[in-house]
Amino acid sequence: MSWPLRLPFLSLSLSFRATIVGLLLLAIVLTCSLLALSLGSYPIPAAQFVPILFGSGSDIEGMILRDHRLPRILTALGAGASFGLSGAMFQTMMRNPLASPDVIGFNAGASCGALVAIIFTGGNVLFGALLGAVLTACLVVGLAWNKGLQPSRLILIGIGIGFACAAFADLLLSRTDARTAADMANWLVGTLNARDWSDVKIVWTGVLILSPAIFWLHFPLARLSLSDDLASGLGLGLSPLRLIITGLGIILAALAVCTAGPLPFVAFAAGPIARSLLPSGKPILLGAAAIGALVVLGADTAARMVPLIQLPAGVFTALIGGPVMVWLLLVQFRKGKL
Amino acid sequence: MTPSARLRAEALSVSFAQTQILNDLTIDIPAGEITVIVGPNACGKSTFLRSLARLQKPSGGQVFLDGKSIHQQPSRSVAQQLAILPQSPSAPEGLTVFDLVTRGRTPHQSALRQWSLQDKSAVEQALDLTGMGHHANRRLESLSGGQRQRAWIAMALAQETDILLLDEPTTYLDLPHQIELLSLITSLNQKTGQTVAMVLHDINLAARFASHMIALRAGDVFVKGSPARVVTRQNMEQVFGLSCQIIADPVHGTPHVIPE
Repeated sequence: MSWPLRLPFLSLSLSFRATIVGLLLLAIVLTCSLLALSLGSYPIPAAQFVPILFGSGSDIEGMILRDHRLPRILTALGAGASFGLSGAMFQTMMRNPLASPDVIGFNAGASCGALVAIIFTGGNVLFGALLGAVLTACLVVGLAWNKGLQPSRLILIGIGIGFACAAFADLLLSRTDARTAADMANWLVGTLNARDWSDVKIVWTGVLILSPAIFWLHFPLARLSLSDDLASGLGLGLSPLRLIITGLGIILAALAVCTAGPLPFVAFAAGPIARSLLPSGKPILLGAAAIGALVVLGADTAARMVPLIQLPAGVFTALIGGPVMVWLLLVQFRKGKL
Repeated sequence: MTPSARLRAEALSVSFAQTQILNDLTIDIPAGEITVIVGPNACGKSTFLRSLARLQKPSGGQVFLDGKSIHQQPSRSVAQQLAILPQSPSAPEGLTVFDLVTRGRTPHQSALRQWSLQDKSAVEQALDLTGMGHHANRRLESLSGGQRQRAWIAMALAQETDILLLDEPTTYLDLPHQIELLSLITSLNQKTGQTVAMVLHDINLAARFASHMIALRAGDVFVKGSPARVVTRQNMEQVFGLSCQIIADPVHGTPHVIPE
């Protein structure tokens, strides 16, 4: 079932199920965000949010809400959405759920870049993460290129390069003093501890600037899921499209990594989960963004709720993502794709 | 050049690594007719069809669509004039027939204009012409081989092009479904005047449904023309290395190969 939407400048066919799923996901994200805002070692009832934010609560409540929880939650949502978008883009483009930036080493590259930036320049994490992700992507794609890009080659080489990046990150850790190394190790698992408004600004500015491109991508991505010959036959320019998608995916992954650390499995799991909720052939980018945001928010809230030890959120995203990966591998095995 | 040909290969060569697949091939695809390309395995039939559809870059020579090199025209505007259905096409799991046929509208759509009234009527007409209207909401994998192939043809028809290229559209179909599909293509060609060029394996079916035939041998055109001219004892011997008798099909009068 679908509704046609026809305006002078826009015509779409809105799938009934996709629209309902989209609205439900949005409602769940909002509810969970409010819940996360009130939960914590100092619980604040939701009814008091508005008065506190407008300055009528105690100083401590204002500080917890405004300076700690709100930026942390907004960063979690932004980073999760970016991971989800980036993963779904690569997976759809390569027609393989294993081709997500955390599996094929792009996230590891981004975190190496960020570590180098932190340790040696003490400066721009975003720039470092971006550069690390781009260099790793060039290396992986360059090595995997053999008259075109075959998903299986890309995935295997990506996994290898990812391990190499992880080893390089370990090397960097071993060369720094114990205190920095402990912080870095925490960061490398992926954490949202002590995020402030500057992180919110980075990730959300990036997402907002890219949002027209993301909206536009829905159209070609839905067609790239057909085979190469079919997509070219329908008039799509495959090489330029792949370049654009790879570029966007890398920027989004780098944005997420530099604000939340290389949280494992979020980019990987968001797309397939969204896919299983939405009808086949319908665009999944926004669904994947919502799922990614939910997973990171849930993981970070769970991490905050464990008292005393500050667990990194990455521990929890791995708990969610691991089973999803096993499930996908089994499905692919059964289909004879692996 | 035949005045009525819109699609033409000129001195077309294609090679993979060191192997020459197509060898300096010059040929017209006559407009409004059903051209069937035949030839032994590995003679370059598919490569030739893919080159005509600009899916294969030539190593020499050119393909012309309306007198202009096909590789120098925007892919999108080529796709508005020429549709290709590759050999054993694949679609994501769970896709419905309707969604698949809608994909055929891609060259007429954009991110902001994804479902215009023209799109809707073209999709409905394509479903209608192929008799897939009742199956529009079924998933592709739930269809029989013959229905699935008709769904793919419907996608190519929804593209509303003047030229339709089909690479072995009857593969994996049993004989009744092969006849059904080729009859469908013939009736579409008669209704819409669409130019059709397709690769077929079966010489007898080719001779029956083609109005024009091209026989390739080792990357070159060996003979072309009406089925009666192409399907002869001598040609079959030289193209396929098949010794045979040719009789007239008692029902349709077209040449029929009886292998010895």
